[in-house]
Amino acid sequence: MGRGFIAMALLEKQRTEAGAGNPRPRLSLRTKDRLSAVPFLVGPVALVGVMLLVPFVATAYQSLTDDDGFTSSFIGFDNYVALLEDPTFVRSLLNTLLWTVGTLILPVGIGLLIAVLTNAVPGGRWLKYVFVLPYALSGTATAVIWGFILRSDGALNQAIEFFGGDAAASGWLLTWPTNTIVMIVASTWQATGVTVILFMIGLQAIPKEVVQAGELDGASGLRLFWHVILPQLRPVTIVVIGMSIANSLRVFDLIWLLTKGGPGAASETLAVTMYRQTFILSDYGAGAAVAVVLSVIVVGASWFYLRHQYKRG
Amino acid sequence: MARIIRNILFYALAVVWAIPLYLLVVNAFTSAERYGGAPSWLPIGFGFFDNLATAWTESQLGYGMLNSLLYASVSAGIAVLAAGMAGFAVVVMPVKRPTVWFWLVYLGTLLPLQIFLAPLFSSYVSMSLYDTNLGMILIYSAICVPFAFFIVRNYLTTIPPEVTEAAKLDGAGWARLFRSIHLPLIRSSLFAAFIFQFTWVWNDLLFGITLTTSPDRRPVMAALAEIDGGFSTFGPPVVLAAAIVASLPTVVLFLTCQRFFVSSLRAAR
Repeated sequence: MGRGFIAMALLEKQRTEAGAGNPRPRLSLRTKDRLSAVPFLVGPVALVGVMLLVPFVATAYQSLTDDDGFTSSFIGFDNYVALLEDPTFVRSLLNTLLWTVGTLILPVGIGLLIAVLTNAVPGGRWLKYVFVLPYALSGTATAVIWGFILRSDGALNQAIEFFGGDAAASGWLLTWPTNTIVMIVASTWQATGVTVILFMIGLQAIPKEVVQAGELDGASGLRLFWHVILPQLRPVTIVVIGMSIANSLRVFDLIWLLTKGGPGAASETLAVTMYRQTFILSDYGAGAAVAVVLSVIVVGASWFYLRHQYKRG
Repeated sequence: MARIIRNILFYALAVVWAIPLYLLVVNAFTSAERYGGAPSWLPIGFGFFDNLATAWTESQLGYGMLNSLLYASVSAGIAVLAAGMAGFAVVVMPVKRPTVWFWLVYLGTLLPLQIFLAPLFSSYVSMSLYDTNLGMILIYSAICVPFAFFIVRNYLTTIPPEVTEAAKLDGAGWARLFRSIHLPLIRSSLFAAFIFQFTWVWNDLLFGITLTTSPDRRPVMAALAEIDGGFSTFGPPVVLAAAIVASLPTVVLFLTCQRFFVSSLRAAR
């Protein structure tokens, strides 16, 4: 749910706002007091350290070996070189990029539109729950529902035939890039709820005087939205866009249930490729390399995006 | 004119969003025997509970629900308590290099889950934690600590340091301070973090299919994924009914505790 990104965004904001000076006033350090923090930190740090940080380091090391579950020896960066030469990995990267661009445009754009219109359209206050509700569903449940719609004998083909159209005989999930696109649509259906919520929070926070001043200057409708409201939404937009990027890079459940990454490996993203390499093919070394590439992209993209955004703002 | 276009656009989108939900409900209530092979757009008969019974016996969805209830409540509880303690230490207590401790705890939520999976799987197998309740509670607790820690830490920084100083002058020890002053003050943020992480654990599929296999150990989403694999055997009504029941707890939680979800997300503004 983009938890990491939300947190990172706030930290970056605090850092830029606080500037260099004014650290939070702290109590004085005495040796006895320093040690008294140990009982409070030992549990949480041990839990996170053993369950998360150690596996993280182990995966990073594993990516430099040819571990197949039985034998393992150090092979340097061979796994990474092999990935670049593997057409399915390149396809997986391309799909990951498609997901990122798609979820950047669809849930963010539609979410903004819904949030803005909700207060203006009669009944909008209640209808907004239609958009928000799917956000409470899991990726698995979303996949079940959309599988029912997208199968060759599913609801979408039935509706197309009812209106006299020519339904795709193979269904929607068996050819690339159609399968990736329809899965992005399914993900949009589920993910737009949270962008609606966040944009509505952002809209509520706009001071009334700002909008009134814009109206006094003669702006209305689209002009008012573009020149007055949208700039005010900038902080929340930064978070929503960043969260969408982070989420799109991690998507797994939906693809795993709808296509298993197939046919072949045609609709895989990096998150799925890692799972298949590791747990289906037992190629632990290659799977670890994919996991490392994915982690570098997720952390790097979030960091780069935030630094860039807050520096400009 | 612009207003009419605007309204039509909004209602059209609402219809598009409502159709999958409508189809879900209608077909989950259609009885499996009378399901004609094509999606029904109007309810036929009332087979919801029969469909559910099939899901219950064939894939032991009931076990999945109970397991997830256990995993989600215990793990979110442990995580929130751990997060409260770590947050207290980093924000209130005079530890050396609070930033280092912060990043150490917090790093876990930045990384994609895939980076943890393979080592967890192999060490779980060798330590007999694979396919156990304890193993699932451990990993879910750990994965929930970082973000809960983050929410709690932010809340703690809003409490004026004078509160701590006054209590220290009165001679209260750190444990006492945490228990009787800070814990009550951060109660609402702990609750918000609990709800958020409970939902996260309930909806997780990846750890469920990687670290468990038997029906009486696996969480609900892994059970639902297996039912989904039997789409053509059981028929769509059974699978959709199972999806509704598996989603109901978090949907209800989300709607009743919306305020807390928003406050977790609000950290972002």
